[in-house]
Amino acid sequence: MLPVEVIIDAITFSNLLALLALGLTLTYLTLKVPNFAHGDLVAAGVYVAFSLHKLCGIHPYLAIPVAFLVCGAISLASYLLVYRPLWRRGAGIVTLMIASIAVEIVLRSGLHIYADVLSSHLKTFTRGFSFAWLDWSVEMYGRTLTFVVIASTCTLMAVTISLYLFLSKTRFGTAMRAAIENPSLASSLGINVDLVYAVSWFLAGALAGVAGVFLPFRMPSDPEVGWEMLLRTFTASILGGLESLMGAILGGLLTGFAEVLGIYVLSKPPVSLSTAYRPAISCALFIMVLLVAPGGITSLDWRRVLRWRRK
Amino acid sequence: MIDILRLLLDFVALYSIYLILSVSLNLEYGYTGIPNFGKVLFFAGGAFVVGAVTARMLAPLAGVSLADYKLRNVVVSSQVTSFLSSNPLLSMGVLFSMLVLGALVGAILGWIASYPAIRLREDYLGMTLVVAGEIMRRIALNYDPLICGTLGVAVPSPYSFLRGITLDVFRTGFMFGVAMLVWYLAERLAHSPFGRLLRAVRDNELAAEALGKDVVKVRAIALVVGSGMAGLAGALYAFYTGVVHPNDCVPIRTFVVWVMVIIGGAGNNTGAALGSLIYLGVEKIIAIAKYYVHGIPFEINYVSYIALGIALILLLMFKPEGLVPERPPQIRSRSEAGES
Repeated sequence: MLPVEVIIDAITFSNLLALLALGLTLTYLTLKVPNFAHGDLVAAGVYVAFSLHKLCGIHPYLAIPVAFLVCGAISLASYLLVYRPLWRRGAGIVTLMIASIAVEIVLRSGLHIYADVLSSHLKTFTRGFSFAWLDWSVEMYGRTLTFVVIASTCTLMAVTISLYLFLSKTRFGTAMRAAIENPSLASSLGINVDLVYAVSWFLAGALAGVAGVFLPFRMPSDPEVGWEMLLRTFTASILGGLESLMGAILGGLLTGFAEVLGIYVLSKPPVSLSTAYRPAISCALFIMVLLVAPGGITSLDWRRVLRWRRK
Repeated sequence: MIDILRLLLDFVALYSIYLILSVSLNLEYGYTGIPNFGKVLFFAGGAFVVGAVTARMLAPLAGVSLADYKLRNVVVSSQVTSFLSSNPLLSMGVLFSMLVLGALVGAILGWIASYPAIRLREDYLGMTLVVAGEIMRRIALNYDPLICGTLGVAVPSPYSFLRGITLDVFRTGFMFGVAMLVWYLAERLAHSPFGRLLRAVRDNELAAEALGKDVVKVRAIALVVGSGMAGLAGALYAFYTGVVHPNDCVPIRTFVVWVMVIIGGAGNNTGAALGSLIYLGVEKIIAIAKYYVHGIPFEINYVSYIALGIALILLLMFKPEGLVPERPPQIRSRSEAGES
């Protein structure tokens, strides 16, 4: 039987992955290019929370709105300054992908420089830090829960519900879906496709920033954490089908659970795998999804799957 | 004086490795249109196999015990090196056979990678190859019997029968020679009928298929040859640095090769050669400048990465064809061809 701690850990981790996959899918829907710089927005969120805590003494949870705005702004800037000009020049997928890797390198190196400067200014370590000791604990059903589980779950639920309401009930949300579905038709009907895309990029970065605030509660963080999360986010998005927002949330949850529970089971006696292989689980899952269901879980015809199993 | 010579030799040696890598990426992306974002995977294949096999293969010959190899690999490697230093012929044999093995491993990995590469769209392929490279690095980091995990493995030097500066000159000359050979072969390939076929597949897959060409096979061959070259570069690198560590093979190495090809201009080998020269030159200048600049509270290498990223974005925007644009292949008229 799985201990409750492992499941709680899996819930936190999956929530973060779901937030990230949601953002990645939002940007993929606009330009149809996987954004390799998405992971670094998480790292940016981490450093927003860290700096506010160290410099102003603000508790990381209160830094969430700031991280939301800052990372959203970074993402928006990368869209306006890099991807949109390239896209307007008729750049293909490969060119946009190279550009996004370039943005990734710039952001990651920028964060490294920022961490170095911060460290020489504050005379403390600015890499490998954790917020775990800052976290509140909550008594629930006779167990002590860390607050980050509750906070990240509530955030994910709030994001999911508000995104759903936004996309289905508001005029702008409907315009957004139209612009994503068929940009040229939407723009001929007077929808400002440019604005819609910009909002998508802002939201994607903002969600990554929020995930970045939660991340140090869960694991030690440094500027490289973005790249590590990026590969898992790819898995989550591919699992969700890359074109569906609800699929992305589901994919994020599944990937998170597969990784945390998978390494727990595999590190026990019959297999006794080293826990250092943990990141390889989501990578292996990525390859498996491409082989078995390249369109992701949302593309599967469940009735056919069930019929096949009954045979 | 000797320092400048060594600096130059080191530069040329590194240049040879990157020249092979950029020529191979150019073959895949520039000529055939396969965006290989996992170059480091094939490079790692060559480097890892050299690291894993060389010392273990020679230890019984040299009479060195392999017990507790993980912790004693540096000792074993230096004992094997001293054994090799008295056997020039054996050293050369080992060097050549390991280079061939490295290229072979790269080619096999390329053959495996061609399975997704032929079937997936560019965006999916890019993600897949990046992820595959990362799996390879994770396994190398954690599976000790391969290249001793996080400790890294020392590689015996097959050049050790020479001494002092002669060694450096010979080593760099050898590496540059191999790179030139690869360059020559790639150039011949590009100007052969097969090279035209590669460009045809890149420019219009449907038309090539309609003319009875096996597009799938052509792309697979390009990937296998390109990956073989990358494996060769990895093997040369392992023998040059004398140490193989899993973290040598981080994804940024792939990206560096991409920068070289984009700077120089995809679709011609002169561009790839020029691009790698410019990139390495800038990197070396920044590395040297680091020793003369003091009082900056951060690592200057990051500045060079930022400059690299920004330069690449600007290049993609304003000069996407690179410094040396691809020229249309020379076409000779029928009468001219008949005369010659």
